[in-house]
Amino acid sequence: MTSTVTPAAASASAGADAPRRRRPRGTWLLLLAPVLAFDAVLFLTPLGKLVAASTHGDAYQRVLKDPLVSRSLLNTFEISALSTLATVVLGYLLAVVIWRRGPLARVILFALVLLPFWTGVLVKNFAWAVLLQDNGLVNTALQGLGITDAPVALLHNRFAVVVGMVHYLLPYAVFPIFAALAAIDDRLELAARSLGAGEASIFRRIILPLTVPGVSAAGLLVFIISTGFFITPVVLGGPGDMMIANQIDFYARQLTDFAGASALALLLTVIVSVFVAIYQRILRAGGEYEAG
Amino acid sequence: MSSLIASVPVFVFLVVPTLIVLPMAFTGSRYITFPPQQLSTEAVTGFFSDQAWMSALSASLQAAGVAVAIAVLLGGTAAVALHGRTFPGKAAITGLLLAPMIVPAVVLALAFYQFFISVGMVGTVLPIGLAHAVIAVPYAFLTVRASLAGLNPALVRSASSLGAGAFSVMRFVYLPVIRPGLIAGALFAFSVSIDETVIALFLQSPNATTLPVKMFTDIQYNLTPKIAVSSAMLVTVATLGLLVQVCFTIRRRSVARLLPLTAPEQTG
Repeated sequence: MTSTVTPAAASASAGADAPRRRRPRGTWLLLLAPVLAFDAVLFLTPLGKLVAASTHGDAYQRVLKDPLVSRSLLNTFEISALSTLATVVLGYLLAVVIWRRGPLARVILFALVLLPFWTGVLVKNFAWAVLLQDNGLVNTALQGLGITDAPVALLHNRFAVVVGMVHYLLPYAVFPIFAALAAIDDRLELAARSLGAGEASIFRRIILPLTVPGVSAAGLLVFIISTGFFITPVVLGGPGDMMIANQIDFYARQLTDFAGASALALLLTVIVSVFVAIYQRILRAGGEYEAG
Repeated sequence: MSSLIASVPVFVFLVVPTLIVLPMAFTGSRYITFPPQQLSTEAVTGFFSDQAWMSALSASLQAAGVAVAIAVLLGGTAAVALHGRTFPGKAAITGLLLAPMIVPAVVLALAFYQFFISVGMVGTVLPIGLAHAVIAVPYAFLTVRASLAGLNPALVRSASSLGAGAFSVMRFVYLPVIRPGLIAGALFAFSVSIDETVIALFLQSPNATTLPVKMFTDIQYNLTPKIAVSSAMLVTVATLGLLVQVCFTIRRRSVARLLPLTAPEQTG
């Protein structure tokens, strides 16, 4: 197998030899046509209909004047920012610990991160609802340790939403931060140590600055995913924790105001797209950073 | 060393909620607490004899079947078509192929809801499966593309110069290389579909209620052992997926290989 060819070298040789290619020219277009047709009909058309629906009447003005909408936009921002902060801090800790281990321990620890990654949100939310209920494990432990006498309300509030979201989001933060750590040249640490640097200053002056692109990528990725949360606020939150996705659902399925729901959906898409664009810019800048 | 100790509670936080659903499925009481008071298989047998849960399970499997078949076929062919080829507009096409991963699920749910009503396709599992296929195609595309990264395009050219037709090139050059990518893509597509809730919630009907939709509805009223049984099944699927992924990782000797597969997705 020629598996040692790097993608860069492979595409370079493809470019150089392109005029001499003997493969039938149309084959690749035939291979590409089905997926393009599929996405045109089942992805672009529904989104196009959504855009069209949002322009009916004064949907945008109506939606933007609704105090419930501004409330859920504010909720979305607050909950997402809080969850992102907690996720990135905990994710950094996990990534560093995994990075410091040998190859076998790395695989095992990664498996621990990947198990919840593979598990659907409802399973996780259900588990948290059981753990955080009044007679749940957490409350029993708190009372057993003598921290409280009566059950603390841990469920159906913002705390539960953030716990559920951080649990869901953690793997998404661990991977980019780990990638940034793995890209660090070992010799830097060695050199710093030989010059008398302690653990703390190695971390503060070498590792932390070199992982900034990974951390920003992780933070943005997690924030992007946060803004679309729908299930967790319903299962773990209270009536005051409605996020923008729930508002869209409310407009569509309760009010049957599809123009309003579509306008809100487009608003959410635009917000997310802006963050995705910044995220991709950071990823690209991070790549140059590693190369240089 | 201190970071290792500090990370233990975080790992516990990460893993425990996933694992406790297994013992909870074998609880004897009607309402759920953890740890379970007495053990019994009542909930499990109850789950499998419950008409509503069984039809939800069947709806989920049908939708996943549609999503996996379409995702593997279309994602695979797209990756092969674009492999080792540079042309103007390639970035735009790749962007279009990956775009369903970025659009929030609730936005897609609303778009699909209005679209399928307008074309008169409601009340069956098929629209749910098709919608899941839309979000699963990018995963299959990415896994197959990742498996093609090691294939030298010169191999394809030499095969054709030796007289291999398009079919033989596909069968003898591409297929052996992309097989792991196809398997991983099928697994991702299955996992995406079996857990997807928001789109299935919008497209549900009495005849087409998937497992997560049934769970979502039930969780809001009662934490019953049947939800735990359903959760335990989904965790089993997740564990199988994880095992396959870890095997791939060990074989490739690189954790970094996992990274392209962990793109933005889903809604919590």
